[in-house]
Amino acid sequence: MKKFDKDRLILGLAGPALALVVAVALTSLVLLVSGRDPIEPYQIMFDSASYVDVQVLIINQAGTYYLAALAVAVGFRMNLFNIGVDGQYRLAAMVAALVGANVGLPGPLRIALIVLVAMLVGALWSGIAGILKTSRGVSEVVSTIMLNAIATSLVAWLILPKNFGVQPAGSNNLTTGDIPESAWFPGLSLGPEAGEIYGFTFVAVACGVIYWFVLGRTRFGFDLRATGASESAAQASGVDAKKMVLTSMLLSGAVAGLVGMPTLLGDTHTYSIDFPAGIGFMGITIALLGRNNPVGIALSALLMAFLVKSSASLDQHGYEKEIADIMQGLIVISVVVSYELVRRYGLRRQQQKVGEELAAGGALKTEKEEAAL
Amino acid sequence: MRRITRIVTVGATTAALALTATACGNKSSSDTASSGDSAGAKAAIAYDVGGRGDQSFNDAAFAGLEKAQKDLKIKGSAAEPSDGEADADKIQRLTELARAGNNPVIGVGFAYAPAIKKVAAKFPKTTFGIIDDASVTDKNIANLVFNEEQGSYLAGVAAAKVSKSKTVGFIGGVETPLIKKFEAGFEQGVTDTDPKVKVLSQYLTQPPNFDGFSKPDLGKAAAQGQLDKKADVIYAAAGLAGSGSIEAAAKAGKWAIGVDSDQYNQKGLATYKDSILTSVTKDVADSVFNLIKSVQDGKPQSGEIRYGLDKDGVGLADSNPAFTKMTDVIGAVDKAKQEIIDGKITVKTTP
Amino acid sequence: MELRGITKRFPGVVANHDIDITIHKGTVHALVGENGAGKSTLMKILYGMQKPDEGTITVDGAEAHFASPADAIARGIGMVHQHFMLADNFTVLENVVLGGEQLYGIGSKARKKIKEISDAYGLGVRPDALVEDLGVADRQRVEILKVLYRGARILILDEPTAVLVPQEVEALFDNLRELKAEGLTVIFISHKLGEVLSVADDITVIRRGTTVGTADPAHTTPKQLAELMVGSELPSPETRESTVTDRPTLTVDELRLTATDPDGVVREVLDGITFTIHQGEVLGIAGVEGNGQTELIEALIGMRDPDGGTITLDGADLSHAPTRKRREAGIGYIPEDRHRHGLLLEAPLWENRILGHVTERPNSRRGLLDPRAARTDTVRIVREYDVRTPGIEVTAASLSGGNQQKLIVGREMSHSPKLLIAAHPTRGVDVGAQAQIWDQIREARREGLAVLLISADLDELIGLSDTLRVMYRGRLVADADPATITPEELGSAMTGAATGHLDAAPAADAPDAAEAPPEDDAR
Repeated sequence: MKKFDKDRLILGLAGPALALVVAVALTSLVLLVSGRDPIEPYQIMFDSASYVDVQVLIINQAGTYYLAALAVAVGFRMNLFNIGVDGQYRLAAMVAALVGANVGLPGPLRIALIVLVAMLVGALWSGIAGILKTSRGVSEVVSTIMLNAIATSLVAWLILPKNFGVQPAGSNNLTTGDIPESAWFPGLSLGPEAGEIYGFTFVAVACGVIYWFVLGRTRFGFDLRATGASESAAQASGVDAKKMVLTSMLLSGAVAGLVGMPTLLGDTHTYSIDFPAGIGFMGITIALLGRNNPVGIALSALLMAFLVKSSASLDQHGYEKEIADIMQGLIVISVVVSYELVRRYGLRRQQQKVGEELAAGGALKTEKEEAAL
Repeated sequence: MRRITRIVTVGATTAALALTATACGNKSSSDTASSGDSAGAKAAIAYDVGGRGDQSFNDAAFAGLEKAQKDLKIKGSAAEPSDGEADADKIQRLTELARAGNNPVIGVGFAYAPAIKKVAAKFPKTTFGIIDDASVTDKNIANLVFNEEQGSYLAGVAAAKVSKSKTVGFIGGVETPLIKKFEAGFEQGVTDTDPKVKVLSQYLTQPPNFDGFSKPDLGKAAAQGQLDKKADVIYAAAGLAGSGSIEAAAKAGKWAIGVDSDQYNQKGLATYKDSILTSVTKDVADSVFNLIKSVQDGKPQSGEIRYGLDKDGVGLADSNPAFTKMTDVIGAVDKAKQEIIDGKITVKTTP
Repeated sequence: MELRGITKRFPGVVANHDIDITIHKGTVHALVGENGAGKSTLMKILYGMQKPDEGTITVDGAEAHFASPADAIARGIGMVHQHFMLADNFTVLENVVLGGEQLYGIGSKARKKIKEISDAYGLGVRPDALVEDLGVADRQRVEILKVLYRGARILILDEPTAVLVPQEVEALFDNLRELKAEGLTVIFISHKLGEVLSVADDITVIRRGTTVGTADPAHTTPKQLAELMVGSELPSPETRESTVTDRPTLTVDELRLTATDPDGVVREVLDGITFTIHQGEVLGIAGVEGNGQTELIEALIGMRDPDGGTITLDGADLSHAPTRKRREAGIGYIPEDRHRHGLLLEAPLWENRILGHVTERPNSRRGLLDPRAARTDTVRIVREYDVRTPGIEVTAASLSGGNQQKLIVGREMSHSPKLLIAAHPTRGVDVGAQAQIWDQIREARREGLAVLLISADLDELIGLSDTLRVMYRGRLVADADPATITPEELGSAMTGAATGHLDAAPAADAPDAAEAPPEDDAR
């Protein structure tokens, strides 16, 4: 039994390791072909990441990525492809910021309200895709992409000064007004040089634990995973597939609603038109790379945050920081390929091992055999 | 047994990570950078979304830096943002640039405002510049702002004068307050000149989708739509995407009005130059150069530095001979310009 | 054709070793063995899909080396797969010439050749019929024709009777005899021993990857053959004792279900289905596949909502209850397609043990899973139901079909169901596992379980059932007494030929059939 576990662990790590090695090799190849030093960019990136302030940036970014990837992973676990995390979190953050700036509640309650509103709005937005899928059979891939575009327009409209937005004097930005300092989420300061780790990063970690618990330890999680593994088998086992689609879409959206919270509550304290965008798509990459496993996602989120943050200094050393983008893209491709390879290999290997062990008499004793003894 | 194994593995991995993090985590990126000697004067710009090569805003800022490198013999550097970054990243970037001894450090675009505010407080001896924002102020912050609406007003005057179909078009890149200033000025210019001329307005994208500044095909499609609605002058304030509008207008034999720099002289648009009636210029390059120069001269600029028609910070280009030959148009434009400078006309900043 | 010392190793496993077979020209040679005994590997070697590590293949006295099926075809070896490889929307002619265009073209010459072959061997194939309009037996004949068209002199047939009703099996065997008479050689792979004995001239038995003996069909009983296959004495069939009570467990009344086919036509797939299963009763439903059995099961388990009628389990109306509620109410389900409906193939065994019973103990308590209890109970199932596995952490996919099925049976029985829906419970399961599954069903029935049994294996149906019904085009058209009916009679009722109560069996046959309910145990 132990042997199988070790195998599984090794195989589990083999996929991402293979993907990373291939991605790095291909990136080096790209560098080489374009006549550049194929090694130095990595050194620069590692150097950059050895600074404590960059590390704080990486961790904060990873926290945000982590939430996005969890949102995507909830869907993935059930074979739903929620591409709409991006629109969900932006709309959620905007509405939550608006509520946070305008509702008069004492600090902690206000934070709770902001977070709650964000989750509700995220869930509402993904729920539209869920209802379209369950009632009309619309692919969630299509509908969530559309909803992303609609969210963009809706946010742009809501934030107009004539609606709910605020244009600070002398600024060309539009915001939702500032959330009062009493409702800023306290962070963990690592000194003036390093900056502070968003308090919400720890909430993200807690979300990972909850994700693990709900999926791995509850009936609901089992139903969800079963549906993802085989919809037909889950249905025969008594799972209401439609309800499951809707519930997991809502859950995914609620988690997506949290994606903007680290930034909103720990940094900007307002939603402005330059609020970070595109994190939802990064979440897809990370969920894929992390194989929907909470620890795997955490490591991948750190990796991606590392790539993004440490590559920021590349352009000051004469390299395009798009090198990191190329690497990210290559990682995605290699991940998809290598996971499938490793999966097939693992399955074959296990079938062989079972055959072998049975042939060698390694079966668990059955009653019949015991009786014979 | 197996569960323990798993927990141990996870624990070990986490511990290993934590160790690597702490082992090298005692210095900040700006510590080493601060070793940058102060022998030669240095200046830096931090780009807005899009970065260098956007043929617009960021490139204009870089042109100013380049000019300063040549004329003032300073060493210039530039830093690019990453997609979807937060204020913390901008703070880190500006801090790094300031610590490296760059003075001034210029943030290109209003998005840098919150970051500049914080970093400027940490480096009181460094001058910080921010383009397109006057909301954050400090004694070592120079707010470089432009009266885009004034230049656009003149474009509106010219457009109303040359339009035969009595319909003109405005294409904004991304629907932000900044671009709305272009729209407001243009509209007012048209209406003040000839109330019968209709203005078709359209934005290509909405934030955070900044494709409207970078994708010419979007500009082309929008211009096509306006041409179909009988517009015969099209003013696009859309960065690189505007070149698509110019192409569409030129192919239809109609007038286009460029933006930011004098697009009549731009190499990439040489094929269509005859159709580029004029361009609304916004001298970002000059403002960057001026700020650097003021620091070099020991009299660093501070507070709001406004570039309007009076300082030629914005204006209307007159490189196209066809345009200069239209004396009545030129006359009307010059008259309007004078009236704005004299304060007889106040141009709105919102449509 | 001769095979000498064929050995094939996969990393860590020897699939075949020292296989020795001599196949005489113009005979039907049967290869029998349990699932997983190595028949399919051997077949792949014969057909050039895999290369043996050791040993020689000799065809007509000359040694042969097959690098690919093309080589095998070139040497006159053809294969008819268990799963047909035909394009549904093509005609027979098009299917036959597909990939063999260079032989006789695609026009009249090809048509002539097809007619010729069809007539020569009595296949009765119509070249212009669309394959999708053909029945299973006709499709099989097309497959055989396809192989002959390519010039095969040696035909390998992989479990050809698995999909056929008895009458069709007879027709197939007639075809095989024709082939034999024309001097062709047939290698016939099967584990239905009765059929093997009736058609084969020689029999080779394979066990654990090697040839363990040959048998002469004229002097062998199915039981002897089965023992040779399994390698030990089989459990003897139980004497039948009725355990049927008069307390109804499941009552289905006027159940109706409609379905819309792709052309938008609404069809009645279940039409006025009415039956009752009592405690301790096994109700068997016979029918050619596609006559509504699948839909009936799905309506009973709640995967389809009936358009009319009622389903009552133990007094409770479950007509429109969700699947989970039905399962909790005591319906156990052994699905027809265990890979699609019964297992999570890539999940470990203990998670598969939870599937379908996630809300019940020991799998969960108050909404939370109890993996420890589930694991413990999985170990118990593995022991009690003789699931051959090295552990409960391996994935379900790595078990053989029989062991997967035993796990499912164990799981469904572990929640003391009132009603067990068993659809083809022993399909694709080897002889040993088959007997065990039957035993378990019988035992549960003795304890008062009601069983709805649907099977294509008529011997299984007759041997296990207390009551038999025949389903045809969505309706229960006939009923029969399993004590008196023969598979042939049942088979003809399944084609819609007979309705009402089937009582045609001559009295003389009755004791015979009743006494030896299925040779089934022996298969």
